Amino acid sequence: MEEFFNNIKESFKEATLEFETINIKIDSTEWIDVHKKLRDEFNLKFFSWLSAIDWDNEVSVGEAPKESVSPSFEIITCLSDLDNTNLVTVSTSISKSEPNINSLIDVYAGANWHEREAYEMFGINFENHPNLEKLYLPDGYEGNPMLKSFELISREVKPWPGDVDVEGMPEESESDGSVDG
Amino acid sequence: MVNALDPQNMNSFSEASVSVEIETEDMTLNIGPQHPSTHGVLRLVAKVDGEKVHDVKPVLGYMHRGYEKLAEVRSYPQITTLVNRIDWVAGFSNEIPFIAGAERLMEIEVPERAKHIRLILTEMARISSHFVFNGAYALEVGALTPIFYAMEDRERVLDLIESVTGGRFHPNFNRIGGVKPAAGAGPTSKKNIQDLPAGFYRDTKVAMEKVIQAADQFQNLIGGNEVFKKRTKNVGVLTAETAEAYGVSGPILRASGVKSDLRTQTDYLPYDQFDYDIPVGENGDCYDRWDVRVKEMVESAKIVLQAIDSMPSGPLQAKVPKVIKVPQGRTYVRAENPKGEMGYYIVSDGGLGPYRLKVRTASFSNVSILPIMLEGALLPDLIAIMGSLDFVLGDVDR
Repeated sequence: MEEFFNNIKESFKEATLEFETINIKIDSTEWIDVHKKLRDEFNLKFFSWLSAIDWDNEVSVGEAPKESVSPSFEIITCLSDLDNTNLVTVSTSISKSEPNINSLIDVYAGANWHEREAYEMFGINFENHPNLEKLYLPDGYEGNPMLKSFELISREVKPWPGDVDVEGMPEESESDGSVDG
Repeated sequence: MVNALDPQNMNSFSEASVSVEIETEDMTLNIGPQHPSTHGVLRLVAKVDGEKVHDVKPVLGYMHRGYEKLAEVRSYPQITTLVNRIDWVAGFSNEIPFIAGAERLMEIEVPERAKHIRLILTEMARISSHFVFNGAYALEVGALTPIFYAMEDRERVLDLIESVTGGRFHPNFNRIGGVKPAAGAGPTSKKNIQDLPAGFYRDTKVAMEKVIQAADQFQNLIGGNEVFKKRTKNVGVLTAETAEAYGVSGPILRASGVKSDLRTQTDYLPYDQFDYDIPVGENGDCYDRWDVRVKEMVESAKIVLQAIDSMPSGPLQAKVPKVIKVPQGRTYVRAENPKGEMGYYIVSDGGLGPYRLKVRTASFSNVSILPIMLEGALLPDLIAIMGSLDFVLGDVDR
């Protein structure tokens, strides 16, 4: 793993190693080339998954980021080799006003369904995808459910049930609230 | 216009009709979403040219419950309940990578005893999942008997899981930092927690011996059956190259000859303390996929027997804060589930719940290979190939 990380570092200077996972941040224009390189030169042939994160300060579900972020989509792929010893995530940022990125299908055929899922859930447009249509959602469904601005209707009707369990516990105010088993 | 019924023309007509090419039209065949062999609600739209299938399009979403969205409005302890229901045939093993991810970000060291209990129950979940596959797959290719044996044997394992966790399918047994005190345990106090129910070791030993016997029985009853061999050998061959590009994992990948098993290659549970084999197939056909799973049941039973003999003593829970807040950071933890690689990518912003939770399930990638495998296959083989992938729709749709 250490040796592999050093090899990666020669090509990608800003790669980081955290929790046994190598993270590489790249520009969205290099998306295809980097994946080709990782597949062919670094033997990362196993395509695990592709997904996206919606970074936004104004959220209608969950909690907003603590520090202000610039609104964008982060797209992440996870690759590994078949010995499973090396695990790499590749991520890039694209703007929310023009959410376009090249499709990875020519590099990893398995990206097909993952990209269709990201397309319907986030509204990301994968260019050159042969069959970019909805995967899970029914025809005629409007909106992209995984966007942070997309409301959960049940939360509108009834507030988060977790509030009942979590709020108002005496330990929360104490600085060191650890308990035994 | 030639009158075909005129005896004078009979001769020339019959000669002419032989040379005429019959134009056939492709028929569109809809399978599911409620076909018994689809393990839930998978729908396939296939074009059929005579007996040959092509252009298969899986239609998903009938079981989509939006767990990734739901996870954003729930706290970490609440999410354990959700993830139980992803692959309901092996509910326990779904919890492990999620809990391990949260523990990793919180830097909690889980006590050895809790890890062992997790490992035992994970392997039991694997055994029960493979029992279901064995029975159901034999049924799909035309053998009625094995499912009755499989269900009876599985019940023994489910009883054990229930005696510890209180639930047969959805245990919800893991806690961040360890496991909860068992359902069948006596009165618990902070000093003396009786974690496993009385007689658990004895019952487990009996049950695991039965599992090994059952696997042997399946090898004779199903594997030795000439009809089964004819239906599965050299059917639905999957090469390792295709499998890895599509992210196909677990027993399907191993049946294609790749010795890839996250249990030995990562350290989410202490598998390195035990001695077991990783069964690998040669041809990557339906028979190999079946065979690998039967052999895996035996290996799992061996792991459980060893784990019981070497069970360490000690606490079940590490010290954790009463209000679980996961520090800012992100991690991807993956585990070898019965159906393949399952993992959770947790993006935490330091709150009560994750900012984003990506669920990577095995069946999703495994099913995405179906259009490739079914291209040009015979219609009767469609069910045999589909069944050999051993997917559960909760695991595909999430």
